[in-house]
Amino acid sequence: MAVVEAHDLRRVYKTHTGTIRRRVKEIEAVRGVSFAIDKGELFGLLGPNGAGKTTTIKMLITLLIPTAGTANVLGFDVVKDPREVRKRIGYVFGGERGVYERLSGYDNLRYFAELYGVPPKVQKARIEELLELVGLKGREHERTEGYSRGMKQRLHVARGLLHDPEVVFLDEPTIGLDPVGARELRATIGTLTSAGKTILLTTHYMFEADALCDRIAVISQGEIVAEGTPAQLKSRVASGAVTEVEVFGIPDETVERLRSLEGVMSVWVEEREQAQVLSVQTRADVQLTAAILGHLNGSNVGRVSHREPTLEDAYVALVEGE
Amino acid sequence: MRTLRLLGIGWLFHFKMIMRSAFDGVGQVIYPLFFATVAFFVFRAGDSPRTLLYASLGAAVMGMWSATSTTAGSAMQRERWQGTLEALVATPANFALILLPVTIAMATIGIYSLVATLLWGRLLFGIDLTVVHPLLFVLSIPATVLTFGALGFLFAVCFVRFRAAWALGNMFEYPVWLICGFLVPLTFFPAWVRPISWILAPTWGMNAIRESSLGGSPLPDLIMCFVLGSAYIALGFLVMERLLRAARERAALSLT
Amino acid sequence: MNSFRLFFVGGLTSYRALFYWLSPTIYIPSLIVAPIFQILLFAYIGRSAGLQSDVFYVTGNAIQYAAIPCLFAMSQTVSGERYQNTLHAILVSPANRFPLFVGRALPVMGNAAFVSAFSFAAGCVILGVSLPAGSIPGLAVVILVAAFSCTGLGLTNAAVSLRVRENAVLSNVIFGFLLIFTGANVPISELPTWMQDVSHVLPLTHAIQAARDLAAGEPFSDVTGLLATELGIGIAYLAGGLALLRVFEWQGRKHATLEQL
Repeated sequence: MAVVEAHDLRRVYKTHTGTIRRRVKEIEAVRGVSFAIDKGELFGLLGPNGAGKTTTIKMLITLLIPTAGTANVLGFDVVKDPREVRKRIGYVFGGERGVYERLSGYDNLRYFAELYGVPPKVQKARIEELLELVGLKGREHERTEGYSRGMKQRLHVARGLLHDPEVVFLDEPTIGLDPVGARELRATIGTLTSAGKTILLTTHYMFEADALCDRIAVISQGEIVAEGTPAQLKSRVASGAVTEVEVFGIPDETVERLRSLEGVMSVWVEEREQAQVLSVQTRADVQLTAAILGHLNGSNVGRVSHREPTLEDAYVALVEGE
Repeated sequence: MRTLRLLGIGWLFHFKMIMRSAFDGVGQVIYPLFFATVAFFVFRAGDSPRTLLYASLGAAVMGMWSATSTTAGSAMQRERWQGTLEALVATPANFALILLPVTIAMATIGIYSLVATLLWGRLLFGIDLTVVHPLLFVLSIPATVLTFGALGFLFAVCFVRFRAAWALGNMFEYPVWLICGFLVPLTFFPAWVRPISWILAPTWGMNAIRESSLGGSPLPDLIMCFVLGSAYIALGFLVMERLLRAARERAALSLT
Repeated sequence: MNSFRLFFVGGLTSYRALFYWLSPTIYIPSLIVAPIFQILLFAYIGRSAGLQSDVFYVTGNAIQYAAIPCLFAMSQTVSGERYQNTLHAILVSPANRFPLFVGRALPVMGNAAFVSAFSFAAGCVILGVSLPAGSIPGLAVVILVAAFSCTGLGLTNAAVSLRVRENAVLSNVIFGFLLIFTGANVPISELPTWMQDVSHVLPLTHAIQAARDLAAGEPFSDVTGLLATELGIGIAYLAGGLALLRVFEWQGRKHATLEQL
C-alpha cells in the first residue's frame, strides 16, 4: 500500500487587486496532481521555481486545504485528520529562517520535541542522536544566530526528525547552500532512506534528484509532465546524442533555424561566464555536427563536444515542451 | 498533565528568548519609568503618603501592562517574520496551546517593570512599600501576570489579520492604564465606563495587588481575575480554531 | 506614547519604507487615538489628585505629543535614506544641505501641527473645556511654532541616528524626557531647580506655557516673548542638527561608515 497518495490535487489562489474596485484574480498553482509513494521510497518532485512544488507539499503536510482532489498520508486524510497526519510526518524546509535565533540549537530542538509530543524520557537521547546525525554535535549550545546557513538547514533537518516520523517531507532543503554544505546535507538525506523512512523531496536541481531519488515526478506549471525512475526519464531522451558548442553571441534566428533541422530534437542555450553554451540534442542515427557548425557560420565558435543525454537534458526537454 | 507540560516548556522557552531580546533595547526597561516619574510628581503635590504608595503600585502595574500590550498583539506576526509560524502550525500540538504561553511569557517580563518602578519610587521619591497581606500580595502578582497573558492572547488572536498589529496593541496601552484604575479610582469616570472596566481583567489584577498591599480583601479580585482570564482564553481558542481553518482553506493568513 | 517602540526595537528594524507609518492602520492608532488618551490619562490623574484643571493637561499633552511624529518621522527621513542606500548619493550631490533637509522637515512639521491641533480640539470636546473664542488664532500660531521647534529637535535626533543604531530607543527616551521636563503635566515650578534649568533649553516648554496663558484669556501680545524664545530654541536645534549632519557626513566620508547598518 502506498504511504503517500495524491489524487488529482488542485489548488487555486485568489488574489485581490485594486483598492476601491476590488477585482478577484484566480491563480491555479496546482492543476490536478496525482502520484503515490511507496514505503521506503525517496520520491522527488522536480520542477522550476513557481511550478507548484511547494503548494503541493503544503497540501500534503496539512498546511493548505486543496481546492479539489484528495490526499492521504499513511491512510489518514490530510483534510479530515490533520492531527493524525502531523503526528506521523516530519517537515523540513530550506532557507535560513524558521529558527529562534536568540536561543541555542539545543533549545530549539527541545521546544519542538515538546510540541511534537516526544515523551520527556526519550527527548534527551533523541536530541543527542540527531545532533550527531546532522553533524551539529559540539555546537548545540551556541545561539543559532551565529550558525552558518548550512548549520541552520541541518538544524531544520534535525527538527523534522525529532519524533521519528515515518514520512519526511523535504522542501528544497539544499537551497542556497554552498556546494560542500549541500553535499553533506545530501549525504544525511541518503542515510534517512536506509533507516527506512519514506521521503518526498522537492528540488529544482536535476543532479540532486538524480543522485538521491528512487523515482521522480517532473512538475511544470502545476502539472506533472513526466514520472519515472531517473533511468526511465533519461531513457526518454537517451535515444540520441547531445552536441555542445561554445559560442559567443548567438542570434535567436540561428537557434530557430537549428530547431527546424531534420533530426534535431531540442535546442537550448545556457549562459556561462564569458560565453554561451549551445546544446543541440539530435537523434542517434543522424550526424549533424557539420550542419550545426554550418549554421553558426559567422559567429565566434569555441569548443565543440558530444555527450550522452543526462537527466538535465530530459528535464529541459520536458519543461520546454510545455 | 501533558498540556501543562507543554504550556510550561513553551513559557520557559519564550521567556528565555524575550529576556534576551528585551534587554538588547533599553527602551523596554526604562520607558515606563518616565510615566511613573510624572505620576509621582503629580501625586506628591497632593502630599499624602498613602496616595503616593497608591500611585507607586499603579505605576508599577502600568509597566507590566505595557510589556504585554506592546508585544502580545503582534505575537503571531512575530512568528511569521521569523519564519517559525509554519513550523509551529505543522506540529500536532494545538496551536492555541502554543501561543498562550508566548503571551504569558511577555506578561511575565512585566514583573521586571513592576520591581523597577517600585525601586525607582523608593529611591527617588522615598515611597516605602508596605504589604498588609504578604502571602496574597505574592499570589496577586502571578495572578495578574496570567490574566495579562490571557488578555494578550486574545489580542494576538484578534489582531492577526492586521498588518500593523503592533500599532493596535500599542493603542490599548493608555486606555487600559486609564480605565482599569491604575492611577485613577473608577469612581472618577462616567457610569458608562465602569462596565468596560469590569470586563477588563487588569482592573481586578490591579485591585488584587493594591488591596493586598494597602489592606483590604483581595480574594474576590483574584477570583474575578480567574474567571475573566479563563473567559479570554476560551474565546481565544474559539477564534483560533476558525482562524486556522480559514488560513488553510483560503491561504488568507499567509503562514510564511 | 511608545507607539513606535515595538516596531523599531522589537525586531522589525528591517522595515525600510519611508513614511510607511502614514498608512491609516498605523496613523489612526498612533497619532489620533493615542494622544487623545494621553490627554485623558493625565487629566484624570490630575482630577483624582485634586490638582490642576483639565485645560492644563489638554494644552500640555496635545503640544507635547507633537514630539512623536517629529522625532520618529525626522529620523526616518534620514535613516530611511541610509537603509535605501540613497543617503550617500544625496550627500555627495552638490545640492546645498540646508534646503534639502529643511525641505524634508516641512511635511513633518505640518503633520506634527495637525496631530497637536486635532488632539487639542478632541481633548477640549471630550473633557468639556471651553476656550476664550479670541484665543483660537493665537493657539494655532503657538501650535505651529511648537511643531517647528520640535522638528528642530527631530533633525538633531535624526543626525544622531546616523551614529546610533537603535535610534527608536533614543526617540522614545527623548519623548519620555519631554514628558517630564517640558511641564506638560507637572508645573515647572514644582520640579527641582536643576530640572528647571534643563526645561528652559528644551523645545515645547515655552510653547506650552504660551498656550496655557492664551487659554487663560491673556492677549496674544503677552505671549510673543515666550513664542520668540520658543522660535529661537527651535532655530538653535535646527542649526545644531544641520551642523551635526555636516560633521557626521565628513567623518562618514573619512571612515566610510555612512552606509553601514
